Amino acid sequence: MNFEINSERFKQLIIRWAVVLLPTIIIGYITLRFLNFSYTSLSTSIISQTFYFSLGLLAAYSLYYYGARWVVTFLLLWILYWLFEKIISRLPGEFDVFYTTARFQLYSTLFIFGWVFGFLLVRIKWAYIILFGILSIVTLVSISDTIDISLSYILLHIFPVVVYGLYMYFLSPILTERIDWDKKKSAKFLSRVVLFSLLVLLAFIVTESLLKGNVKAVEKELAARGAKGDKDGKNKNKDKDNYDDRDGLMDKTDDGYRLKDTMRVNSKMSQSDKLMFCGKLDNYFPDGSPAPLYFVYHYLTRYDPVKETFTRDVNVPSLDEISVDPTALPMYYSYTDTTMIRKSKGRKLRKIVEAQVYLSENTWKHSVLGPASVFSIQTIPVEKDFQKTFISGYKITSFTSELNNAYFVYNISASPKLEPLQEQRHNELRSVAGYNKIDKEFVDYYTKIPTGGIYDSISKLALSLTSKTAKPVDKVIAVRDFFLKRNENGKRIFRYTLKAGAVDDPNIPSSKMLYNFLFKTHAGYCTYYAGASLFMLRTLGVPTRFTTGFATINRSDKNKGWYWFYASQAHAWTQVYFPGYGWLDFDMTIGNEDQQGAPKPDGTPPLPPPEPWLVLNAKAESVDLITKSLITSFNQLIYFNNPAVLSRIFTRPIDATLCRVLYDKRDTTFAAIHPGDSLIIVSYKDEAKKIPQPRAGVPIEMQVEAFPSPIIADEIHIRVKEKEKKNEDAAKKASPLVEKKMTWQEIAWIVGKVIAGIILLLFLLPIFYLIYCLLRILLSRDVNAKADTIYHAALYRLHMAGLERETETPLEYAQHKVDPALSAGFEEFMRLYLRLKYSNGKLRDGDEAVINTFGKNIANAINKKYGFIKIAFNYFNLLKASHYFQSPQKSDYENQSL
Amino acid sequence: MTTSSAKLKSLTENIETIIRGKPQEIKYVVAAMLARGHILLEDNPGAGKTVLAKTLAQSISEGSADFQSTNGGVAFKRIQFTPDLLPMDLIGSHIFDEAKKDFVFKKGPLFTHVLLADEINRASPKVQSALLECMAENQISSGDTTFQLDPFFFTIATQNPIEMEGTYPLPAAQLDRFYMKISFGYVSEEVEFDIYTNYLAIGNGKSTVKQVLTYSDIIHLQQEAENVYVHPEIVKGIVRLVQSTRNHPEIALGSSTRGGITFIKCLKAWALVNQRDYVIEDDIRALAQPVLHHRLIFRNREASRTALQQLVDAEVNKLAKLGIQGKK
Repeated sequence: MNFEINSERFKQLIIRWAVVLLPTIIIGYITLRFLNFSYTSLSTSIISQTFYFSLGLLAAYSLYYYGARWVVTFLLLWILYWLFEKIISRLPGEFDVFYTTARFQLYSTLFIFGWVFGFLLVRIKWAYIILFGILSIVTLVSISDTIDISLSYILLHIFPVVVYGLYMYFLSPILTERIDWDKKKSAKFLSRVVLFSLLVLLAFIVTESLLKGNVKAVEKELAARGAKGDKDGKNKNKDKDNYDDRDGLMDKTDDGYRLKDTMRVNSKMSQSDKLMFCGKLDNYFPDGSPAPLYFVYHYLTRYDPVKETFTRDVNVPSLDEISVDPTALPMYYSYTDTTMIRKSKGRKLRKIVEAQVYLSENTWKHSVLGPASVFSIQTIPVEKDFQKTFISGYKITSFTSELNNAYFVYNISASPKLEPLQEQRHNELRSVAGYNKIDKEFVDYYTKIPTGGIYDSISKLALSLTSKTAKPVDKVIAVRDFFLKRNENGKRIFRYTLKAGAVDDPNIPSSKMLYNFLFKTHAGYCTYYAGASLFMLRTLGVPTRFTTGFATINRSDKNKGWYWFYASQAHAWTQVYFPGYGWLDFDMTIGNEDQQGAPKPDGTPPLPPPEPWLVLNAKAESVDLITKSLITSFNQLIYFNNPAVLSRIFTRPIDATLCRVLYDKRDTTFAAIHPGDSLIIVSYKDEAKKIPQPRAGVPIEMQVEAFPSPIIADEIHIRVKEKEKKNEDAAKKASPLVEKKMTWQEIAWIVGKVIAGIILLLFLLPIFYLIYCLLRILLSRDVNAKADTIYHAALYRLHMAGLERETETPLEYAQHKVDPALSAGFEEFMRLYLRLKYSNGKLRDGDEAVINTFGKNIANAINKKYGFIKIAFNYFNLLKASHYFQSPQKSDYENQSL
Repeated sequence: MTTSSAKLKSLTENIETIIRGKPQEIKYVVAAMLARGHILLEDNPGAGKTVLAKTLAQSISEGSADFQSTNGGVAFKRIQFTPDLLPMDLIGSHIFDEAKKDFVFKKGPLFTHVLLADEINRASPKVQSALLECMAENQISSGDTTFQLDPFFFTIATQNPIEMEGTYPLPAAQLDRFYMKISFGYVSEEVEFDIYTNYLAIGNGKSTVKQVLTYSDIIHLQQEAENVYVHPEIVKGIVRLVQSTRNHPEIALGSSTRGGITFIKCLKAWALVNQRDYVIEDDIRALAQPVLHHRLIFRNREASRTALQQLVDAEVNKLAKLGIQGKK
């Protein structure tokens, strides 16, 4: 070990600090900045992080520069650790110990990174390649975590690393030598670095502007990929289960599966077993056991005799379907349909049921799914751990009748225990004698059926079933019993099957199939039973509607009140109106006796979100990425579940250090927030926070004044900008085909175009170089420069014309190759040029004339000898051009000294 | 410049009238002489080495007073090296002078201007090293007296190819003393025909050699060769070349710094021989083989043929790609 302070060596070290370590510290600072946007660490002070990093870097670099080895390394690091242990043991509190340890871990990691970097920079000549690799990987990782990814964003992040790499690339050869602080040299060196960086930047910009459209498409695809997660894996699944939306109950859309708005009976039905959603229903029997309810999607109230389908009808008397798009609701905001509350029918035995619903991405998310008669909805976030399964969630509140329950609406109760309950329900409903007292228009609408042909025979059948009875509920039971009838052998006449039609022919009218179902085959799936009973009940004067939704199956008692809904649970049934009680579910579908699907296991229910004490609907005014804080302005808030609009706009700082940031319901990084974004800022009720309790009678503005400053945010939801959304929708409408096919072909096409562009550019490079040479000849002012440019241009043009210089010197080349072939006076020029280049003599008279004549002669001679066309072709020969720039043979044996 | 180039031209042309078909080799010999160095010719017997040396000596008149030659030119001595030759055969010895009753020094053949050391590798190493002292130091030590040689002392040594029997190959350290090592080789068919017809017809060639230069001309030309300008880029190129010989994996021993110095000296002389007062990249190419090759030890025969050439090609190419430096 040589620890003598040699002043010359020390000077060299100082120079290296300036030229190597300073840029490395700067790039370290930049990288740490980016990392801090993306990841939350205990200390957000980048300055101190950089400080420890540079400390390690400087220490290692200086030590190893003076030839330190492992002993020194070990001793020094051990002393540092020992010091830290001493400090820890003296700390008083447990929290302090934890805090210091955590900080020590972070800072020592950075220190060691700095140390390793320093070591590499001293010991390995090509260390900058390793550093460049590490830095670019770190940068890429921090970029990939961002959702609003764009080309400029990528460029902004990658650019410093690229510049650093180039800088070190230029620098590295001189590091092994003694560096003299020569002003002229360093200026030249610096200008080279700057020029090259500018060139890289230019290349980036040109690429971006040339391929802007394509890049946008790629970006969009990237964003879609980021948002949709492992889309490919799901696509494969889709291929596997052969769900066919032509004959299923659901349509496949871009936003997932949705139940059809119109339904007809088909010859067969497709099913799939994808998870659609899960829900928690706060509906229990008095003994505490869960009481499931069917989840309703839509009511199909009208029968279209022309198309022979059941359809939704907007002009229905007393619409009782909440019409709101949950995705349009900001997070934590609720929507309550007051007309639903006003017009709600049936107040007897009515209760209010609350439910939480979490939709998977398979589900159409623009309509409300919930127990019948939902009147209020509030959006809630999905817990982070469940975001892979569920993409959105909401709380709903609905009216339901005590008489409604998935157990007793079902045709035959699952358990004998429930039969008495079912009977109870029927007895309760027997109090309804008829529909004379209610609105005639309402009854007429819901009992309307076409007449003639098949419909008449259905009517006849229905009337024959119920000729003796008068009460509506008995009519319903009679229809039910019709489906439950057994033949003389005790076997059921009707059975459940997914393949209802004898012939798989979509052209058979559905009324005909319904007829076959009732009178001939006696086999069908839910739509058949629902459709047939609707006709029969309407014939009998009972107001009935066709309902689509999901059958609820209670799978286990493990998670009480939680239900999982799979695509195969998509269902259709009838609802019957009873004055005073409202619409009640009656499901006539027969259980599938042949095939009992194995019950699917329960999933893990998502944790309920914490209760927020404050939800702000705010606008970001300024964002500080370093301290992770922002200034916001707002005039709308939800304070302890009470929405309020403030009379003026408040501005408050927000502390988002440990905050979760979401965009379009997906986690993103804090860097995704830009000033001007509208945000939903959520703060949970938490013991540690000083939460001002609401005071009754005090104006809300006064209470807002008392809010802590800054407000500690737990969640920030970036609202999807309306403009973006519209653009997206417009794009979707404009090119539905492209949207669908934006798959591998599209991407391959774009990538192909990009590669083709690059290749074209590559092939044009030889010509660009020629143009560059010719321009330099025109622009060069003094004789030396002119001779120089003419010399290089001549060599290049001769090479491209096919007269390559091999290992001979230029003079030999001129004497033996060029002049015999072209006789353009190359040798004379060469002698003159060599004199200019290597002698210290002055320019002589006539030199300029020789140079000028040669410049003209050689151009003419080349064109004359080889022909313009042939040469032009040669310029596209990239290999040939590259040979010109190659230095021949084994020059790589040089510079191996270290 | 013009006078000296004319003189050099007449010298080379003069030698060319005797030695046919070898203009390049003649130039090498002249360049080595102007660089104040010595040259080693490696060839089979009968290629014209002796004739070359003699002709060179005879072309120069008016040697210094000490050693006048009998036939007009500067002093020329020839030593045929044999295994039993002793150092004193070269240097001379003290002989008892009966008249003076004292030992007087009888000068050996080394006291001359142009020395032809024939088949140097046949002599024992002892004799070889005696020759090398005077080549390097331009002086001769015998007993307690040291004799200075004339400033113009030029040795042309010849050696048989190493493979031949009865030879003591020169060690690398001694080879290093020779500025250049060239090989004559055989002449082409036409030249040989020309030699057989014309040279024989003339008869005894010695008498036809003209004296074209004087002793002082040579001293002057040597001075002039020293003043030839070497561009810094050329020097850098030579530094790179010398360094690369040390790092080449197939070269066991690279060139010494003395090798590099010698190279630059030879380049200057070579430029002068080619009527230039500055060195160009072609000179490096022309001289690398004769000046550097015998200083290197190669790992194998293949490398011996190609390695140096590759390095020189790379270096020359680098210089050729360079623009005019530092001139505005």
